[in-house]
Amino acid sequence: MIRRSPVVRSRFRPPVPAAALLVGATALGVAAALSLEPIVPEASVEHRPIAVSEDDYVSSTTCRSCHPSQYATWHGSFHRTMTQVATPESVRADFDAIVVEAVPGRPMRLERRGDEFWAEFDDPGWEGAPRDRPRITRQVVMITGSHHQNIYWYATGHDRALNVLPGVYLLEEDRWTPRNAVVLAPPGQGVAMLDGHWNAVCIDCHTTHGKTRFDTPFLSEPIRDQAVDTTVAELGIACEACHGPAAAHVAANRNPLRRYQLHTGGAPDPTIVEPTRLDPQRSSQVCGQCHSIWEFPDAAGERAASAGGLPYRPGDELRATRFVAQPRVNGRSDTMQALIAADPDFVRGSFWPDGLVRVSGREYNGLLDSPCFADATEPERTLSCFSCHTMHKTPEDPRTVAEWADTHQVSAGMDGNAACTQCHAPIAADLPAHTNHAPESTGSRCYNCHMPYTSYGLLRAIRSHTVTSPSVRESVELGRPNACNLCHLDRTLAWSADHLREWYAQPAPRLDDNERSVAASILWLLRGDAGQRALAAWSYGWEPAQEVSGTSWMVPYLGELLGDRYDAVRFIAARSLRTIPGFETLQYDFAGDRQDRIEAAVGALRAWRNGSLARARRDPELLFGVDGTLDTAAMRRIFDQRDNRPLFLRE
Amino acid sequence: MSATPSSRQSDYVGRHLRFGWWSLFVFLLLGATLETLHGFKVGFYLDASNETRRLMWTLAHAHGALLGLVNIAAGLSMRALPELPGDGRLPLISTALLAATVLLPAGFFASGVVFYSGDPGVGIALVPVGAACLAIAVFLLARAVTALSGTSEGGTERRRRG
Repeated sequence: MIRRSPVVRSRFRPPVPAAALLVGATALGVAAALSLEPIVPEASVEHRPIAVSEDDYVSSTTCRSCHPSQYATWHGSFHRTMTQVATPESVRADFDAIVVEAVPGRPMRLERRGDEFWAEFDDPGWEGAPRDRPRITRQVVMITGSHHQNIYWYATGHDRALNVLPGVYLLEEDRWTPRNAVVLAPPGQGVAMLDGHWNAVCIDCHTTHGKTRFDTPFLSEPIRDQAVDTTVAELGIACEACHGPAAAHVAANRNPLRRYQLHTGGAPDPTIVEPTRLDPQRSSQVCGQCHSIWEFPDAAGERAASAGGLPYRPGDELRATRFVAQPRVNGRSDTMQALIAADPDFVRGSFWPDGLVRVSGREYNGLLDSPCFADATEPERTLSCFSCHTMHKTPEDPRTVAEWADTHQVSAGMDGNAACTQCHAPIAADLPAHTNHAPESTGSRCYNCHMPYTSYGLLRAIRSHTVTSPSVRESVELGRPNACNLCHLDRTLAWSADHLREWYAQPAPRLDDNERSVAASILWLLRGDAGQRALAAWSYGWEPAQEVSGTSWMVPYLGELLGDRYDAVRFIAARSLRTIPGFETLQYDFAGDRQDRIEAAVGALRAWRNGSLARARRDPELLFGVDGTLDTAAMRRIFDQRDNRPLFLRE
Repeated sequence: MSATPSSRQSDYVGRHLRFGWWSLFVFLLLGATLETLHGFKVGFYLDASNETRRLMWTLAHAHGALLGLVNIAAGLSMRALPELPGDGRLPLISTALLAATVLLPAGFFASGVVFYSGDPGVGIALVPVGAACLAIAVFLLARAVTALSGTSEGGTERRRRG
């Protein structure tokens, strides 16, 4: 007898409960899909710049599938979020029925409408009488900055042109501040707030392959008469900003045999640029395309870039299509002279008198003037951006991506002396012999002496990226604070000059009476220009300097700066003052009413005088008498020597 | 046809049942290991930079466990269908299925040990070989079952007429 196999003969009949379950699950899925916000296609957005894939740019989403690790570290970096569409995820400030007083004119009102962000404020483009200035209400559509500040851009309503809100949101401080208070600029001056400014200027370095696409040059006629069809390959600094357009790379590497040949062979892939494989000059130019002070060589170049994007591609010679301002090298060139003719403060606003860059975000300029780069002859011993920084955190790096991103993407281990001793090994062998400081002290950190905080930006001092040696002569002749006195805030220039002569046989410069007898930091703070004051005020809050110099004596000097004319200087002084014991809760608004500021400063001084700090130091270099009283007359005399020339640092 | 499997077929039944259950045990252990790596948030497995490893090892676990079940199913099929025709193909079917059960998860696992960013390691070359073995085994087994179905139905008809 042959048994009939039920396996063979049976026909599938789904049981009723299973069918009901299937129908129910399907219904739930459909309902969930319908409840999602509809995704607006980028191409249909009309009121802001849009991202388009063209000119062989494929976007980071394409890179992600093959390079998940690199994508992840980039995704956690502030490069990605340099420019973002304003969404509930990207907007950090509270827009929920908020009134912002800290803006020029009448208060700005913020409002959330679903997932949209709106602001009502005084019309910045009004050309009539100030008292008649109308209010306008605009949708905030884009953000630049995500590390220290959120700068919000609104749709002007004219094509894709954007303009900036009158207030900037400071992330760390969790507060709004007037737009021009976050730059170091004289009262009433600062960055332009014009319709189309982002499209014409910011786009170059805050996006990937941006195209301004004005039909006529920006500012050549009223923007309302211009067509503005701005596009980018990607908002923010994405993969292809540094690796170049990747369409050919993607196409070639669809072939798995090719990929594995490259994986196992170790040869570079000629279809894509790998900046770390370039020579130090070209690799640093990849960073320098944005981290430099540059201009178009001519108007034709600017027009071409407006239509087709910047012509530079990673691996190219940057100077073939850009004029990189380097006063020491091309200060007398026709292009530089033309720039100075158009803007007499072009050099002074960005460079120290000897041509070294003094503003943040322009580190490539600093590198160009560094002997470790400029004078190096062997590629493997030439300083480049990648000597110390990495654009992708390595798996071996124990830090989180957030920690790595927050510390300027410095490579693992390169936040210490290893950055320098990888070339200068003999110094590492006997560090104190070179530094004359205890080996574990901050005075034995290469960075502190050779890359001191002499650049300014983002309401703080930034390390100079020009590798130099401490020099009192430079402080005297150029005004650039020297590394010794940025840490030894309570010492004079003469004190530093003596040590530099004794330790390094540096000739001592000629010093005036104040330079011989008054702490250098006090001179910078009282009589320096606004940039020097900002750097000195920041150093007063720098922990290593506070440990070396003490803080009890700083209050009257920082208090003096609470009344400074420059918003940025006041902001930094208040922040440093709050680091001093007893002043952590100082009630002071740098952007507030002038009378309130004066009262806050007087109150701080009174609290200091009445406290135990006032007589803790009796150093004449700090202008204290032998009885511990402050020599306010001497302070006034130095103050009267202040460099009051207007200074706008173009960070 | 015999109502009970031939001794040779019984060998194959036993082989695949044993192999299937032991495979399940091995890949159960692998699954538990992966869960442990999840539980302790081990970066070696979970970090974004190790996304490829995580995918490959997950695939190794999934394929190993599934192929263990397939082996059990194959063993049970051979026992339930002792008249399985194409007896001469059984060695090939069995060998191909066993090879697939080893090569597929081993390929995925090895390619997650050393890998190239988004590309798995060279161990991935084992996977298509294993897939081909599995395809051969499943095809031959399906064909044998289909042939048995035809034989069984014909026999029934003949018996009714008789």
